[in-house]
Amino acid sequence: MVDEKDYLVANNLNEAKVLMHEHCGNIHVLAGGTDLMVALREGKRSGRDTTYLLDISNIQELKAIERKKVTISDEDCNTNEDYIRIGAMVTFDEAAHSGLLLKTAGALCEAAKSVGAQQIRNVATIGGNVCNAAVAADSLSALTILDAKVVLEDLRGERVLSIGEFITGPGKTAINEDELLTEIRFKPLEDYYSAFVKLGRRKALAISRMNVAAALAFEDEKITEARISPGCVFATPRRVQSAEKILIGESPSEELFMEAGEEVSKEMVRITGRRWSTDYKYPALSAVTFKALAIAYNQAKSDT
Amino acid sequence: MERYSLCVNEREYEFLANANETLLFVLRERLDLTGAKCGCLTGDCGACTVLIDGEAKKACLIQIRNAVGHKITTIEGLSENGTLHPIQKAFIYCGAIQCGFCTPGMILSAKALLDKNLSPTESEIRDAISGNLCRCTGYERIVEAILLSSKMLRGEDCDV
Ligand code: FES
Ligand code: FES
Repeated sequence: MVDEKDYLVANNLNEAKVLMHEHCGNIHVLAGGTDLMVALREGKRSGRDTTYLLDISNIQELKAIERKKVTISDEDCNTNEDYIRIGAMVTFDEAAHSGLLLKTAGALCEAAKSVGAQQIRNVATIGGNVCNAAVAADSLSALTILDAKVVLEDLRGERVLSIGEFITGPGKTAINEDELLTEIRFKPLEDYYSAFVKLGRRKALAISRMNVAAALAFEDEKITEARISPGCVFATPRRVQSAEKILIGESPSEELFMEAGEEVSKEMVRITGRRWSTDYKYPALSAVTFKALAIAYNQAKSDT
Repeated sequence: MERYSLCVNEREYEFLANANETLLFVLRERLDLTGAKCGCLTGDCGACTVLIDGEAKKACLIQIRNAVGHKITTIEGLSENGTLHPIQKAFIYCGAIQCGFCTPGMILSAKALLDKNLSPTESEIRDAISGNLCRCTGYERIVEAILLSSKMLRGEDCDV
């Protein structure tokens, strides 16, 4: 396990950045610890052999979920845009019950609820989940349909990357050795209805086998916007635009949702090729997609 | 080794420990509070569940430093002056304990639920204990016991 001297505590963001800079390459961030503690006990340091562990649990700025305004100035007009920021140390339980997220990112709340067990949701953080970049990380598909961005900070400043740019492969991210992931931000999906459906082997603690996050927007009984992202299917999280296109401009129906579900499975085979598991995964993924779309549509119906 | 102080079951403990120790290790080996069990050490079984500021957490995943400054409740802290807590009574009454290894964690997960929600549905109960594994009982009597204890805590007549 970790030696005493290894354990550093940062009390604010700047302290954390200084420590990350000072021990660049030789320090690993400890967030909720639900994965790292196990890796440490097994003598693995999540792939990175570092002397120092940085405890960031005292940093208040990393614990808030809030709505912010940014002013975007292009040419001669200034537009105000709303976005939601989730601090990297927000736990899954906090995300699952956040009134703000329930209104603006329903699928993310559902994904957060589906994580591990209550004791894990009380501790595990969204930032940690994204940084581990496990293919089976529950939050990734929901963040992908939000077109969420991650904010990476170091002493020099900040970088903003999309989830797709940030996650470069299973367990791999584009984070630099002295950077901290400080927040996840997205534009609120206020006019959308979103859903998250997970197929796990055992209900609790199931590391996702497969999941789908979907969001739909409607106008006059027609689908105007659609976003679909399957989890645990591709090596890096992405949306399936070919399936989204099937939905846009159409009237919602079971047949249409089935067709879109089928297209998601086809895309899986196109990208990952046929494997021994394809016979199982193909119909399962179509069905999970169908269910996510149907749930999103039912929310819309019960809303009007 | 460093000196730590920790509030467990409303009592302040002072002790020496290494910064790499988990809360579970400290409770069992330094404070002799062996109610929290050590089942897997990988966050899977829930036998080490304790309450930290009222929330159920797995003590095998918590670094001791992250427990300092918070209120820890273990199974040893549930009875008052020798009288068992209603959840404990209900577990005994319903036969929800066999080998007993999962019991402290189960009861604390149940307490975290009931402290927030005095009238949980069966599915809320199953969700609350879904991170606690039991190899013996098949869970039915545990769920029954938690339902019964919710009635007791609401002050309904239950003759337990
Ligand atoms: S010992 Fe902590 S979850 Fe099993
Ligand atoms: S009573 Fe034996 S594990 Fe639950």
